Amino acid sequence: MKKEITKYYPLIPVFAAYLLLFLIGRNISGMWQLVAMLLFYCALGQAFNIFLGMTGYVDFGYVAFMGIGTYGMALAITKLAHIEGLGIGIIIIGFILALLMSTLLSVAVGAVALRLRGAYFAIATIGVNEGFRFLIEGARIWNGSEGLIFTAQLNEILGREAASSLMTYWADIMVLIIAALAAFVTLYYMRSKIGYALTALREDEDAAKVMGINVTKYKIIAFITSACFAGLVGATSWALKTPYVFPPEVFEIHYTIEAIIIVLLGGAGTLLGPVAGGLIYGISKYYLAIFMPGFQLLIFAPIIIIIIVLFPEGVVGMLKYRLKDSALARFII
Amino acid sequence: MLLEQLSGNLIQGIILGAVYGMATMGLSLIFGVLKVVNVGHGAFIMVGAFVTLWLFNALGINPIIALPGAFVIGMGLGLIFYYTTMQRLIKAPELATLLATFSIGILLEELVKLIFGSEFRGYNWVVGKIDIGVTVLPLSKLYACIGSVIIALLLYLWFKKTRAGSAIRSVVEDSEGARVCGVNVGGAYALSFALGIGLTVSSGVLLTMFIPVGINPYMGGGYTLKAFVIAVLGGLSSPYGAFFGGLVFGLIENGSYTLFALIPGVEPFALTRFLSFVILLAILLIKPTGLLSTK
Repeated sequence: MKKEITKYYPLIPVFAAYLLLFLIGRNISGMWQLVAMLLFYCALGQAFNIFLGMTGYVDFGYVAFMGIGTYGMALAITKLAHIEGLGIGIIIIGFILALLMSTLLSVAVGAVALRLRGAYFAIATIGVNEGFRFLIEGARIWNGSEGLIFTAQLNEILGREAASSLMTYWADIMVLIIAALAAFVTLYYMRSKIGYALTALREDEDAAKVMGINVTKYKIIAFITSACFAGLVGATSWALKTPYVFPPEVFEIHYTIEAIIIVLLGGAGTLLGPVAGGLIYGISKYYLAIFMPGFQLLIFAPIIIIIIVLFPEGVVGMLKYRLKDSALARFII
Repeated sequence: MLLEQLSGNLIQGIILGAVYGMATMGLSLIFGVLKVVNVGHGAFIMVGAFVTLWLFNALGINPIIALPGAFVIGMGLGLIFYYTTMQRLIKAPELATLLATFSIGILLEELVKLIFGSEFRGYNWVVGKIDIGVTVLPLSKLYACIGSVIIALLLYLWFKKTRAGSAIRSVVEDSEGARVCGVNVGGAYALSFALGIGLTVSSGVLLTMFIPVGINPYMGGGYTLKAFVIAVLGGLSSPYGAFFGGLVFGLIENGSYTLFALIPGVEPFALTRFLSFVILLAILLIKPTGLLSTK
């Protein structure tokens, strides 16, 4: 029994960070906006890390899953708004739909792209978000390029008060829960057969295959899990916080870039990494936007190059190495 | 009527395709030699477009003459990025090179935005047009097409006839074997990377003649995706394959646009973009060695 509990020690610093963020946001006035943004980045990093960090495959089309999740929530609210008495249930249906749609898309993309390796995989995924965006716009699915706007429906179902507190407060709490859940799943995977299989595959895919590991199965597990969390993040951070969805916005490759920066900055494949990366990235982006608006990417691009060339392990990777034999080691993975 | 329109569009497609093909040769060259996918490919095309714009508007230099200038600038950029970044990552996992080239692309976009601003800008190079019956061809596009074919031929000859060209070909065959035979493999890598970037930047010069709305620092993204489709059509690692892939892609793009436009209630332009993505996935799945390969 004791062993079972010590297994989950590394979650302590992660959850402590989230609790601290929540308390800061709650108690210091004017901080909630920043905290909400940091929670979004941590959740995004934590979700992306399950795939990018654990498999070492780069999915440039990752934002497509956030986009499709946003559409799931948006469709549930716009199509079901006329049914009486659904109330808050409509949000739950929205989450289920978001999960379902991101699972379906990830199965479809994964079935094709995960047969490919390394560079070929990256090439296949780089067009997923654009391809999907152009399908929606071109074939005029779900209102095409005009998008969906559902502020009115949300106000009608939940009442104006509740809808506004959902947008400004409860949606962020949901992001927090999603981030924590993603951290838990990451650790669960790491401590189970899946994690060992993925480590072997990341180090040497051919060797792993020869050893009898069904690499495709584990890659698909990581891919779908990661996509589902992306869908949930999209459904809350985008659909519930800002009740509209336009194809060019939710399929913008920019968010994939941010997710990559966060995971790399913190340390790919570590549990605490996305939290550290999300906090560092979010805080620096927030203050850069105030002091040097428009220069964020100009500053971040060389930073990624420097990290890749000089510190490929990221912040937590280095920390882990430093604390290797100390008492703190079991809290950080 | 439709047939006339379709054949007119297909002729335009071949002309555009030749330029597309030339714009992808650099990508395939770099992948063929270094096994690095240049995800920032489109950004280098954008740099070429801005070089043209600047030379034309500030100094009045004709875009065809800008071509060698763009090539030299591209070689310079290629050498800088090779020796500062890529050289250290040749042996690193793919994740590292993909992200590095991606970041280089963002860096270039942001630098150009800093200098020129992010609004669309254009230039007006009027050299007349010729009417060939089914369609009207602007001479500027025709020049771009001829320029692409000449550059492709020059590259072919350079690879076949010069010492440096054969050195690079030997590295592609077997880099260890080449090293044993006294080939400077590091030098071949640097030269191929610089050459690939040089070709890509000069293709940006030619592509400006096909962009009616003007250019901006973020124009490259769409070209990166198209270049991947074309490179995959041509087998990804062969520059000549890429050139023919470009011709095929130009035909598909213009032909499908004409056909999609017949379907009521859809946006044909967006659907062509979707189609190119579907082709990419299909080729990767069915024949990842490219359409031209016999394997």
